[in-house]
Amino acid sequence: MQYSSQAVAKPYFIAAIGLFVGQILFGLIMGLQYVWGDFLFPEIPFNVARMVHTNLLIVWLLFGFMGAAYYLVPEEAETELASPKLALALFWIFLVAGALTILGYLLVPYSGLAKLTGNDLFPTMGREFLEQPTITKIGIVIVALGFLYNITMTILKGRKTVISLVLLIGLWGLAVFFLFAFFNPANLVLDKFYWWWVVHLWVEGVWELILGSILAFVLIKTTGVDREIIEKWLYVIIAMTLITGIVGTGHHYYWIGTPEYWQWLGSIFSALEPIPFFMMVIFAFNMVNQRRREHPNKAAVLWALGTPVMAFLGAGVWGFMHTLSPVNYYTHGTQITAAHGHMAFYGAYVMVVLAIISYAMPILRGRAAANSPRAQVWEMWSFWLMTISIVFITLFLTGAGILQVWLQRVSENPEPFMVVQEKIALFYWMREVAGVFFLVGLVVYLISFFIGGEEEATA
Amino acid sequence: MIWIFIYAELLVFGILFLAYAFARARNVALFNESQLHLNRTAGAVNTLVLITSSYFVVRAVAAIRADRTRACARWLLAAVAMAGIFVVVKLGEYAAASAHGITMSTNTFFMFYWAMTFFHFMHVLLGMVILLAVWWKARHGAYSAAEHTGVETGASYWHMVDMVWIILFPLVYVMH
Amino acid sequence: MSETFTKTMARNIFYGGAVFFFLLFLALTYDTHGELPKRDNRQNLTEKVAMGKMVWEENDCIGCHTLLGEGAYFAPELGNVYKRFGNSKEAIIAFIKSRPAEGVEGRRSMPQFNLSDEELDALAEFLKYTSEINTAGWPPNIQG
Repeated sequence: MQYSSQAVAKPYFIAAIGLFVGQILFGLIMGLQYVWGDFLFPEIPFNVARMVHTNLLIVWLLFGFMGAAYYLVPEEAETELASPKLALALFWIFLVAGALTILGYLLVPYSGLAKLTGNDLFPTMGREFLEQPTITKIGIVIVALGFLYNITMTILKGRKTVISLVLLIGLWGLAVFFLFAFFNPANLVLDKFYWWWVVHLWVEGVWELILGSILAFVLIKTTGVDREIIEKWLYVIIAMTLITGIVGTGHHYYWIGTPEYWQWLGSIFSALEPIPFFMMVIFAFNMVNQRRREHPNKAAVLWALGTPVMAFLGAGVWGFMHTLSPVNYYTHGTQITAAHGHMAFYGAYVMVVLAIISYAMPILRGRAAANSPRAQVWEMWSFWLMTISIVFITLFLTGAGILQVWLQRVSENPEPFMVVQEKIALFYWMREVAGVFFLVGLVVYLISFFIGGEEEATA
Repeated sequence: MIWIFIYAELLVFGILFLAYAFARARNVALFNESQLHLNRTAGAVNTLVLITSSYFVVRAVAAIRADRTRACARWLLAAVAMAGIFVVVKLGEYAAASAHGITMSTNTFFMFYWAMTFFHFMHVLLGMVILLAVWWKARHGAYSAAEHTGVETGASYWHMVDMVWIILFPLVYVMH
Repeated sequence: MSETFTKTMARNIFYGGAVFFFLLFLALTYDTHGELPKRDNRQNLTEKVAMGKMVWEENDCIGCHTLLGEGAYFAPELGNVYKRFGNSKEAIIAFIKSRPAEGVEGRRSMPQFNLSDEELDALAEFLKYTSEINTAGWPPNIQG
């Protein structure tokens, strides 16, 4: 570790992994509820489990992004963090607020939580992914502002590299677009229109900037390739991301009451959205092939290569599959969407956070440059277990989705939703089994942290 | 390198043109009928304006190759002025269309009309910004016969914008 | 034209492209706002519908159902449920009221939310309003 203030990243990473475990457990509960309808009913109804599953995902990824920023910004800016104390204080505030919110979901009926937090005064709750009580949303904004202040001041007083600038733009964009979470008009179409300004412009916009810069950082560190080359790639990739992704928002405006020209614009631009992901694959493999050193942390390199591949498959290929409006007419809001969502989130955002954790954690724990080869073998096993599991989850959900589309939407005698759900239950069982394997992979991942020894730096 | 960028741009416009052709083939009557509502004269004027401005840009490049910095800057400014005329005419056309209640949602033809011409319109604005930046640098002696990559890059971009219009105009305004 | 592709060019393409397409997106947003009154059924957006949306949100209905295809995929699409239930608010209200508090053995079941008559009526009114939004012909059939 070059700067002592980088150490604040450690609690963020640990919290991220802890919440990740929670997310997966609730995922398994939901998966079981798909086939065993009254499992844990009425104590944990499906909507509560889902809220916990998706909110934990978002929160732990945010912990991961913040940890990544606290780790890489001092090193890039070549200066200590502006205020490590603030970073630590915000960590506890965010963790406690997040835990309270999750407990609120689990212990109080949702409508009770809404009453308790005064949702009628400023209604923002009850929209997908934005279920948090208004007070929690305000808390998120405050934490984000403190965090951005800290990171911005650090970059301003130090060296300004492309990686830290792109990360900063991504993080500011994340905060700015989150503000649309407070806009909740009674007009459902307007509500949905701006809801996507948070959701789409996050995951297919500014988050990709964060993804790109973290990936570029890990690649610079592990391959030793010239910074000029990596930064040039980074610029081109994120340029393509925004060029295709901003108007690509249109692929959410086909059937929600918005004008029909979005069917053309959304189809054309979002069909181009896989391009930046494809470039990311070429980029990562090129850099690793041109490496100037053999970094001892093989696991980190594996994550860094896995990220673009899985992001391309999940976001690029599985996204393209149902992005054209004539196709989307039949697939909109089915298990196809769920399939795409799982692999895209895992490939793009879960993996990049695990990549930076894999690279930074050994250093944060005072091990020279990498974990012992034995620990790395465990970590790489977890990589393959989790990645292959998510591929199978995606394939089974896709199978379920194709049958659902066929039986419920396309066939001459469309069948009711619940009838179709029972017919495709086998796929849900297989998905649940794949989910258990994912959990096994996650446990293997956790174990890898408790295997001692270290690899001497050879670079 | 600017060429990779230009090819990418042409690819996007190419996709738009193909989509247009595809949509037109499915509803030729509607397209032919709607087309009559467009102001062909304004379109033709703008075509001439853009070709002229492209010619001025060619003169600007020729001037800098002969090391005549001030002439180069003057030609660039003239090109920007022509682009300004294009913008004014185009805005007039848009205003008239809006006044007649013609919007992107009127029908598929007008969806394409608005989408493609507006997308191109934004390229003209961007091109003007680029030409002005090059003009400003030229005026401050940043270019010479030996080193004038910036001028050539700006010129290439502007010719691309011009060329797209030369395809767009007959396709949308004239072709029946 | 033998110059190489520099980092400055890549940077300019990024900033230029981002600003360019964001402006384009804003222009389209502006146009969308102009078109929405014709499509979003706002003439029927009454106080009661607004209250129904609150009931919808404060019980996290989106956590199981989709509404115009967005939400969770655990329970049926509700954007067209008013039509599916025979254009009947009463049928919707009766269904929500009848859900058993302890669920159904081995099967998925909607929780019993214990809504008041006023809330039930508002919710049904909201679903009616939603079913009248012009969604470009989606969903493909009445099953949602």
